[in-house]
Amino acid sequence: MKKKLFRLLTVMAIVFSLVLAGCAPSKSNQSTEKDVKRETDELVLSIKGEPDTGFDPTTGWGRYGSPLFQSTLLKRDDNLNIVNDLATSYEVTKDGKVWTVVLREDVQFSDGKLLTADDVIFTFETALNNGSVVDLNVLDKVEAVNAHTVKFTLKEAQSTFINSLVVTGIVPKHAYGKGYAENPIGSGPYQLVQWDKGQQLIVKVNPKYYDQKPFFQKITFLFLSEDATIAAAQAGKVDVAAIPASFSKQQVPGMRLEALQSVDNRGIVFPYVKSGAVTKDGLPIGNDVTADSAIRHAINIAVDRQALIDGVLEGHGSKAYTSVDSLPWWNPETVFEDADMNGAKTLLHDSGWKDTDDDGILEKGSLKAEFSLYYPAEDTIRQSLSIAVADMIKPLGINIKVEGASWDTIEQKMFSNAVLMGWGSHDPHEMYDVYSSRYTGVDYYNTGFYKNEKVDEYFEKALAATDSTEAIEYWKKAQWDGTTGLSAIGDAPWAWLVNIDHLYLVKNGLDIGKQGIQPHGHGWPITNNIEDWKWAE
Amino acid sequence: MMPTLTLLNKKQRALIVTILAIVFLMIVIVIGVVLDKESISTNLKHRNASPTFEHPFGTDWLGRDMFSRTFMGISLSIGVGLIGAFGSTLIATILGVISATMGKTADRIVSWLIDLFLSVPHLVTLILIAFTFGGGFKGIVIGIALTHWPSLARIIRAEVMQIRSAEFVQISRKMGKSSWWIATKHIFPHILPQILVGFMLLFPHAILHEAAVTFLGLGLSPHEPAIGIILSESMKYLSAGMWWLAFFPGLCLLFIVRTFDMLGENIRILMDINIDHK
Repeated sequence: MKKKLFRLLTVMAIVFSLVLAGCAPSKSNQSTEKDVKRETDELVLSIKGEPDTGFDPTTGWGRYGSPLFQSTLLKRDDNLNIVNDLATSYEVTKDGKVWTVVLREDVQFSDGKLLTADDVIFTFETALNNGSVVDLNVLDKVEAVNAHTVKFTLKEAQSTFINSLVVTGIVPKHAYGKGYAENPIGSGPYQLVQWDKGQQLIVKVNPKYYDQKPFFQKITFLFLSEDATIAAAQAGKVDVAAIPASFSKQQVPGMRLEALQSVDNRGIVFPYVKSGAVTKDGLPIGNDVTADSAIRHAINIAVDRQALIDGVLEGHGSKAYTSVDSLPWWNPETVFEDADMNGAKTLLHDSGWKDTDDDGILEKGSLKAEFSLYYPAEDTIRQSLSIAVADMIKPLGINIKVEGASWDTIEQKMFSNAVLMGWGSHDPHEMYDVYSSRYTGVDYYNTGFYKNEKVDEYFEKALAATDSTEAIEYWKKAQWDGTTGLSAIGDAPWAWLVNIDHLYLVKNGLDIGKQGIQPHGHGWPITNNIEDWKWAE
Repeated sequence: MMPTLTLLNKKQRALIVTILAIVFLMIVIVIGVVLDKESISTNLKHRNASPTFEHPFGTDWLGRDMFSRTFMGISLSIGVGLIGAFGSTLIATILGVISATMGKTADRIVSWLIDLFLSVPHLVTLILIAFTFGGGFKGIVIGIALTHWPSLARIIRAEVMQIRSAEFVQISRKMGKSSWWIATKHIFPHILPQILVGFMLLFPHAILHEAAVTFLGLGLSPHEPAIGIILSESMKYLSAGMWWLAFFPGLCLLFIVRTFDMLGENIRILMDINIDHK
């Protein structure tokens, strides 16, 4: 018996030491290959972003980053300004309903055919009929004025319609058919060579591209898991790799870490109304605890966002105050002092929350200051943020019960419980979706049933504006106009926590241009300016 | 002078080992119960610390004390194992007795059920059942209870059949004793050791399967302290050199399972009348 145990221990010791040795980062001489600077015009990237539905812009391909194979009427430059791409100019009528876009006349698809107004009309009509993630509900009709001028007529004024022109790649009417998503033809900088689903995508330069030709002639996109990406980066097999924050401390020889600022935000959405009502499907709405504005404000000011950034994101993030931080339509007045425990305590005390039964949790009448916070179980960052926030808030006397669940479960619970959500778009319309009373209980939008008539009014004005500076003024006022607003210093229907920096390992010497503020979705958006990428001199 | 061990006979040795094992398990359970949720609260300033005196098992990426997480996980596993193994034993006893005493048709049905469950790997049925019952603690316990009974049921069935046809039972019946009297006074005392030993030997299985299911992410919420969750998390950090996240919890799981195994073996020795006090 004793002998057996001893033998067992010995075997275990050997096995463990082998396992551990295998895990130690090897510093052997595999760097010889890596150190040779690649004088090539080919790139290998592992940045995720493989589309489930293929490369068809009318069903949602290319909303962020480069659509690669197609090009769009307008585009955003590195500073998020909207500039012409296929268009040479556009005009909006005074009532904001008719948009006229003039196209370049020299644009060819990669098969040599000219791109005309018909293709634009075809694209938008197809997208409208597909009814996918591409939301074109406001579009009434698209018509050709002449071969290179298109007229969009909207049902109502919507200043954010411009974003549809920015993100919708134009498909060729003559070459669009059933297999288009697997075999796209377009006027973009690259054309498809090969797509092995779930593995890789190989593209080469489109010789017919009308704009500045990209430096890299051939790009391979590998669709690897996180672990495989890291391994590939360490082996020097990829030029750009998207990595999680937990790996950011590791040095990879021959590569540098690029932390790109983003509006890829995470925050807690609170049920804003008292419980009682149910949705059409019978799901409960509202929560008595989070409906109390003192609770929401106290959590907002008590959370130490910097600690979350340092602790959960390894320092690669920025404090979040709204869903649109640092974007042109963000109102910087919404910034406030956080990590203010005493302020939060006073606030709760003043609004009648007291610990009457000495259990460490506050009460107000018969109401106990506790609620559940749901997070998607497979998302480690949201899990970490949820646990960390719950622990931070506990000393205040608010008990947040953290629950990990699948999205299916969350969809049942999200109207009556707090949820750790994330947004972040280059389209101000998203703010409208998330906070407008028109979107209460629609998809993952306004799940808290937030409603403020003043905010709704600013939204309508912003959408009706014909000029983008005017619109921006109203978007800002919706966040905070001096007395009310949707931000945390106003009604605080959310407690925004952090904006997650997008981390990439980039091969030394590779210039990925100036990257703007990244939207939700770590990975593909980095390709937005892929035409500008080159080896530094 | 003779070494101490030989002074004791086999049964005495078994008794000592059993007591030690029980004491060890009690200590683990008590530690797990005494630790409150505070001890696994996050501490963002003390993250990824390797083992020290303050944190004997180190801390994880949120600064939670791995010692507390491990022991809470282990006592949760023991809890799941206890309820699961108890449920399984109950099912096994009932089905075993039914098939041995209630005639040919009942026997055929139960044997078919046993074969059915034995023909599919435990883990697969366990996952299916746990999933159907909505996952979570309840799902795992029900899953374990419903999947671990077949082999024990088969043993009990054979045992009951053997005792039923034994001479003393036949005589007892001829002398006019009721079925209930025979079942409680003759059959049950004879199969009790089998049931107890079977129960103990189901334990390590149940614990390992609980760990496996939570490892695969089917059981509890990922922030709960369960040994499988701890182990699957640690995989992500192994390449970053954080060996303590996997090593200590894994070793603890191994010890616990091995202890239960030993306990089962020794209880068998204690109860086996064929081993005398030599």
